[in-house]
Amino acid sequence: MRRGGLPAFLLVAPLLALLVLSFALPVGRMLWTAVADRELADALPDTAAALRAWDGDGLPPDAAFAHLARELGAALEERRIGLVAQRLNFEEPGLRALLLRTARAAERLRDDPRGGLVALDARWGEPATWRLLKGAAGPLTALYLLRAVDLRLTPAGIVDAPAEEAIFRTLFLRTLWIAALVTLICIVLAYPVAATLAALPERLAGYGLLLVLVPFWTSVLVRTTAWFVLLQREGPLNAAAVALGLIEHPLQMIGTRFAVILAMVHVLLPFAILPAYAVMRRLDPALPKAAASLGAGPLARFLRVHLPLSFPGVAAGGAMVFLLAVGFYITPALVGGPRDQMVASFIAFFISQTPNWGMAAALSVLLLAMTGAVTLLVRAVLPGFARRA
Amino acid sequence: MSAPLVRFRGVAKSYDGRAQAVAPLDLEVAEGEFLTLLGPSGSGKTTTLMMLAGFEEPSAGEILLDGRVMNRVPPHRRGIGVVFQNYALFPHMTVAQNLAFPLEMRRMPRAERDARIARALAMVRLAGMAERKPAQLSGGQQQRVALARALIFSPRLVLMDEPLGALDRQLREQLQLEIKALHAELGVTILYVTHDQGEALTMSDRIAVFHQGRIEQIGPPRELYDRPATAFVAGFLGENNLLPATVLGADSGVLRCRLSGGAEVLATGDATPGEALLVLRPERIALDGSGANRVPGTVTDAIFLGDQTRLRVALAGGQAVTVKQPHREGERMPAPGDAVTLCFPPEAARILPPQRT
Amino acid sequence: MTGRVLVGGAAALVLLFLVSPMLAILPLSFSDSEILRLPPEGWSLRWYERLFTSDRWLLAARNSVVVAVATTLLGTVLGTLAALGLHFGRIPGRGAILALLAMPVVTPSVVTAAALFLAYSPLGLTGTMAGLVLGHTIISVPFVVLAVLASLRGFDATLLRAAASLGATPAQAFRRVVLPLIAPGVAAGAVFAFATSFDEFILTLFLAGPGQFTLPRQIYAAVRDVWDPTICAAAVVLFLASMLLLLASEAARRRGGGLG
Repeated sequence: MRRGGLPAFLLVAPLLALLVLSFALPVGRMLWTAVADRELADALPDTAAALRAWDGDGLPPDAAFAHLARELGAALEERRIGLVAQRLNFEEPGLRALLLRTARAAERLRDDPRGGLVALDARWGEPATWRLLKGAAGPLTALYLLRAVDLRLTPAGIVDAPAEEAIFRTLFLRTLWIAALVTLICIVLAYPVAATLAALPERLAGYGLLLVLVPFWTSVLVRTTAWFVLLQREGPLNAAAVALGLIEHPLQMIGTRFAVILAMVHVLLPFAILPAYAVMRRLDPALPKAAASLGAGPLARFLRVHLPLSFPGVAAGGAMVFLLAVGFYITPALVGGPRDQMVASFIAFFISQTPNWGMAAALSVLLLAMTGAVTLLVRAVLPGFARRA
Repeated sequence: MSAPLVRFRGVAKSYDGRAQAVAPLDLEVAEGEFLTLLGPSGSGKTTTLMMLAGFEEPSAGEILLDGRVMNRVPPHRRGIGVVFQNYALFPHMTVAQNLAFPLEMRRMPRAERDARIARALAMVRLAGMAERKPAQLSGGQQQRVALARALIFSPRLVLMDEPLGALDRQLREQLQLEIKALHAELGVTILYVTHDQGEALTMSDRIAVFHQGRIEQIGPPRELYDRPATAFVAGFLGENNLLPATVLGADSGVLRCRLSGGAEVLATGDATPGEALLVLRPERIALDGSGANRVPGTVTDAIFLGDQTRLRVALAGGQAVTVKQPHREGERMPAPGDAVTLCFPPEAARILPPQRT
Repeated sequence: MTGRVLVGGAAALVLLFLVSPMLAILPLSFSDSEILRLPPEGWSLRWYERLFTSDRWLLAARNSVVVAVATTLLGTVLGTLAALGLHFGRIPGRGAILALLAMPVVTPSVVTAAALFLAYSPLGLTGTMAGLVLGHTIISVPFVVLAVLASLRGFDATLLRAAASLGATPAQAFRRVVLPLIAPGVAAGAVFAFATSFDEFILTLFLAGPGQFTLPRQIYAAVRDVWDPTICAAAVVLFLASMLLLLASEAARRRGGGLG
């Protein structure tokens, strides 16, 4: 007795509204922020229009100089100059000071904008400066996305960023490497646990599962905090190691890659164990027996029967671990050092520390692209993965 | 027949606008009768039942209950008891709560409810199971609870949709008798859907045989069995031999026909000359020489079935005929290769129009 | 045989690894000193005392509960209604709706948090309880929908016909037949939603102002900004809350709920 369209839709509508308004639109808007370039056009509209109309050769027409001088002055007075100053300064350091100085001199420049600007600062006579401004006038920009992969757009084309500023490629590679390492360790550790639990009778397996579910249900923050406490130099782990004679002096473990990997593995291990267990539990116990009756020894039974049949579950768990690891923030932030930070920390940095929503959005786009690519890859390889969510 | 309880007037059902699940149907059900809708899957019998219950809407025509047109009445106001194929007992309620449900919907006071529940449980011989949950009952017990629940609010009409399909044979036969007994005791009108022709023959006052959305024949079981009106009915009810034949002419009520092998046979039925179908029940063929018709043949198969022997006999024209002989101890069973003569009276051989494809 | 012993031994070690951090934190929370050494030099309840008397911690605890309760109510109602509509109705684009529903779960929390921050800032929703509840609901409600859909999948539609044939109006049938049978699924979803909100950190990090700090947020502040050994006690309290929720979830699962 399927009810007709409208009443059913009314039931779904409120949730749909929430999802669209409070998730889809914000995420869409943020992705848009990665390529949107509005600061110049908002603060200096006439200048922007004039620059867009200009063909980019040599220096722009007088009107552009005039608009710039006038609008900069107005923006400073109305306190609207901050965003455009930051936007231009991000592309080329030093531009903020230039803009502010020019804005303060706006009155004096009214009679002869062109001459006055060049006299104020030689950069206003350079075509490069104006081309940069023109680039910032358009509705869209590739600035942030390029920056996020350590590239710069110059008149000569797209080039690599200078070495001291090229941090993002390393960042992404580090993120992928950490995630991959954590995933591998989790899969290796999950296998014996899942196999042992799956072989136990229901009740015992239930208790064992509880041991896995306990950390699963504990907040990531609480677990990471626990590791933070345990790995302190004056903490219990060091004390125990020294007492057991394993080491002479306490080790500095907080702020190391080791701590990050250890804590992340601990946090993500249940995600690897549970799907593997589910699949192994459903394995027909008659199959290994049949294999034995056909002459297969323990290793052969494992490699030819158990492994191939349990692979989808293990792989699903591994994929889930990888996807989660790639977006991790808390654990590297709490127990890792400056060289252990992952992409997520930089997104947070660009939102709260140095508000640069363009960069935060660009990094998010790339992070989403990574997780999206992994999801599609896994879905293509494992047909059952689509139902994980 | 005094005013029928249920009347279908030109009722038809089509799901996609082209193929007809039920072709325009005219059917009357008398009060107190046990009518079975019999047919293979997809023949339209369940759809017809569901339209009466109100779970499907007719594409055309009217359904009348007690003279009232029911098309627009929603199912929960029709007051018709329904027994479903998978019992549909509420799993989260006890047997007593399941039985109380229709009475609560009718706001019956507690005391009367309890009395009715006790009576209903006694009626289906499940007294003492009141506090069990359906999951704790066997299939047969669940079916009896479903039956009791459909009857407890004293409806005038009860619909049953293949209720015994999931049970094993012995249980099925037992419940058939119980349902029949309940019908006799309560006098309620029952409309019963099944694909099992044996069940239909056992339980019904009348049978309506459905084929591709139409009723091919409706009548008491014996009439349908002895005098099938179409080849489909002949083949569906019981075992039957269907032999192509040509009608040559009529002679004071008896038809002269020729089988494709050339044998001449005397039969009864529709006298139109030309192509026809000869219908002959296996149990009415004798091998002992008595009867107006004598057709020679050779035994190709003989199977001993305990209470009877079944033979396959090949005729001159190549056609195969099945013969059923009661087994008598001491008698020799014909063996493959034996030559035999099939004997039967003209009344046992019926002529029907050729089978519609 | 030795193979099985080795595997079992490895499994035991890994399981020990999984539970040991919380096992270690427990005694530390009762330690008398500010230095975290095991076994503790002295036993005392001072950290718990600090936890339950400090304004900041009490506010954080209160906020955690308020936000979690609000999230659970909102998420359970919206999610159950949506699951009913998706199961019983003929809605075009059902697949797309389910895909959209899954997105908050598969999107990295940082991205969601950043997006919500960007969207809520101009609306004045950052630094408010309402904004926080909205954010928590977004990531919790998919679990409610999944849990209710799972219990609906086992629902025999013929029961609705039976109820109608016995005289129940659609509303009565829903109340007496559908609701009791999906109640375990709704309960399981609600428990998971509560736990998700209670443990939630990243969205809170971005969206909450000092007046809306929840327990996890406060713990983070105590680790990063001003070192405060009370975090051990707070961690234990959060952990115990999670355990209660785990037990509640198991209870719901046993009665037919669970996340399919």
